[in-house]
Amino acid sequence: MNILLCAKQVPDDAVEVSMGADGKPAIDKIDKVVNAFDTYALEMAARFKEAAGEGEITVLCVGPDDAKNGLKNCLAVGGDYAYLASDEAFEGSDMQGIASILKDAIRKIEADKGIAFDIVCTGKEATDMALGQGGILLADKLGTGVITNVIAFDTDENGVSAKQETEEGYRTVAADLPVVLTISKPDYDPRFPKIKAKLAARKKPIEAVAADALSDEGKAAAGEGNAKLKILRSYEPPKKESGVKIQEESDEDSALAAVKMMTEAKVL
Amino acid sequence: MNKQDTKGVLVYIETAGGAPVKVSEEILEPARQIAAKSGSDVTAVVIGENIGDAAAQIAEKGADTVIAIDSPDYKDYNLDAYADVLRQVIDDVKPEAVLIGATQDGKDIAPKLAAAFDSASASDVVGIDFDDDGNIIWTMPAYSGNILYDAVIEEARPQIGTIRSGTFKKLEEAPKGSVESRDIKAADDVIKAVIRDSVKEMAESVNLEEAEIIVSGGRGMGTKENFQQVVDLAQLLGGVVGATRPAIEDGWIPRNHQVGQSGKIVAPKLYIACGISGATQHLTGIVNSDYIVAINKDEDAPIFEVANIGIVGDVNKVLPVMFEEIKKIKEEA
Ligand SMILES: Cc1cc2nc3c(=O)[nH]c(=O)nc-3n(C[C@H](O)[C@H](O)[C@H](O)COP(=O)(O)OP(=O)(O)OC[C@H]3O[C@@H](n4cnc5c(N)ncnc54)[C@H](O)[C@@H]3O)c2cc1C
Ligand SMILES: Nc1ncnc2c1ncn2[C@@H]1O[C@H](COP(=O)(O)O)[C@@H](O)[C@H]1O
Repeated sequence: MNILLCAKQVPDDAVEVSMGADGKPAIDKIDKVVNAFDTYALEMAARFKEAAGEGEITVLCVGPDDAKNGLKNCLAVGGDYAYLASDEAFEGSDMQGIASILKDAIRKIEADKGIAFDIVCTGKEATDMALGQGGILLADKLGTGVITNVIAFDTDENGVSAKQETEEGYRTVAADLPVVLTISKPDYDPRFPKIKAKLAARKKPIEAVAADALSDEGKAAAGEGNAKLKILRSYEPPKKESGVKIQEESDEDSALAAVKMMTEAKVL
Repeated sequence: MNKQDTKGVLVYIETAGGAPVKVSEEILEPARQIAAKSGSDVTAVVIGENIGDAAAQIAEKGADTVIAIDSPDYKDYNLDAYADVLRQVIDDVKPEAVLIGATQDGKDIAPKLAAAFDSASASDVVGIDFDDDGNIIWTMPAYSGNILYDAVIEEARPQIGTIRSGTFKKLEEAPKGSVESRDIKAADDVIKAVIRDSVKEMAESVNLEEAEIIVSGGRGMGTKENFQQVVDLAQLLGGVVGATRPAIEDGWIPRNHQVGQSGKIVAPKLYIACGISGATQHLTGIVNSDYIVAINKDEDAPIFEVANIGIVGDVNKVLPVMFEEIKKIKEEA
């Protein structure tokens, strides 16, 4: 089974982002990490591969040069190969643009290696802009089916069967291979890299994909000039003012003081 | 689609158990705003089996025309089928904008349509406005709600937006529209993923979005037994139980109680946060609450930055006293 994982580099989601003096979100100083949902997808793919006893996982990112660090981390926790699609021409792409670049990069990797990917995994959404569109747009461009919000999957001779999380439970969804799966948070966490795996990952190459891999369709979609959704401005939402803190002699007293205030505020 | 050829607003009405979901009614409000701006109409689309009542209801709630596609074929939701039916309606109606509630399924349909029309979709919209040329300005959250941004889709049509629940209010007064039944078949070759089975795991549905009082518990509750205090207080107050992701992952409460980025976005009159640190992914779900009370033993916990009342203390000592005291007040009232 050949699995391709789309992994986006995003600012660490544990850090609160504020606006910078230049009128843009101040993300430059925040550590970059692999999008949380993409790490869940990688863990799910790695477990699938381990259970099957065969298969390879290729990780693909569209992003700036420093996204290599994230890709190295992916190689340390289950990824076998990593590709970075980086080019000035890709900058400022909207999601349709990114999906086109991903598609052309996938086709190029397949052609270069003489393989075909059976399963393409994306995250359910990226933690920066949280569009939740990447996997669905990519499936459309690849001409495959897509199963969203997946928390478990397996394959058999008929294709793939996936457990899709819903608001009230789950659906079992089946599709032929190849397929795109968008992965949600399963009830386990991604593994931590072992030191040996980390050292080995550092030595592995990160292959480059550049703008010359783009098809005509890709050229027409990639880059800021082709973005259909144009961002006008960013700003911080009005902050909620913090109120009073209660810390009496004992927790019991604090509780009583709080209830008194809540009664006065008529919220009970 | 060419911008000049498009006019009007199309709204997709999602139903559950034969009735429109709440956000589907809410999106008629921005739909009317957009239609008023361009002097055009609002067309709503309902897909399913036995959705006649839902269609009639929407005709009273702000749609000029409701297209009802009622067929056993659409008894169960299927992304590929529903998106293809909508594609065909859009091809016919040629709307300038398509509005969809940002539910899990709605957020899947939107990019499908964006792909079909080579257009763009604004995700999780929390406000709309117009620029001088009458273009829609879509406001969206980024970075777990710490940043908002405004964007326009200048040329691509139809422009699509998924609207976050609670952003708009249902219209109180609306023009009366008409219902039109149509028989539209999804193209044979579009269905690439099939739903084999649909399981309702959670016994009760949890209406966090409409709750006036929510009592939420986090990892700081410590154990499932302790978490029961959150449930008890919610019950006493006639409220709904919320939870953070760790509380859910530890199995203290089912997943449909999750509040936050990957859970529900809530806006109650009173939100009581028990043993919750206040990570941005949680805060983004609660900042629209009118009044927040937080109990945390760490005086530097970020939850206190948004709390009207912050109780610094051990939640397992504070909650029992609070419960008894509130019970007393309730009994006296
Ligand atoms: C992609 C992504 C999506 C996410 N989506 C969500 C989401 O939708 N909703 C969500 O909630 N989280 C979400 N999270 C997780 C989020 O980042 C935080 O990890 C989570 O909200 C923390 O939950 P918590 O406050 O219960 O736990 P913790 O952060 O561990 O906080 C526990 C708090 O309890 C306090 N405490 C401990 N013992 C006591 C005591 N005896 N008395 C009083 N206080 C005590 C501690 O001081 C601490 O502040 C998401 C994360 C990611 C990466
Ligand atoms: N620049 C990118 N490089 C690689 N994968 C991406 C990129 N942007 C988005 N994706 C994939 O698409 C998913 C959904 O992203 P989004 O639609 O931006 O929320 C992510 O979880 C990734 O798997």
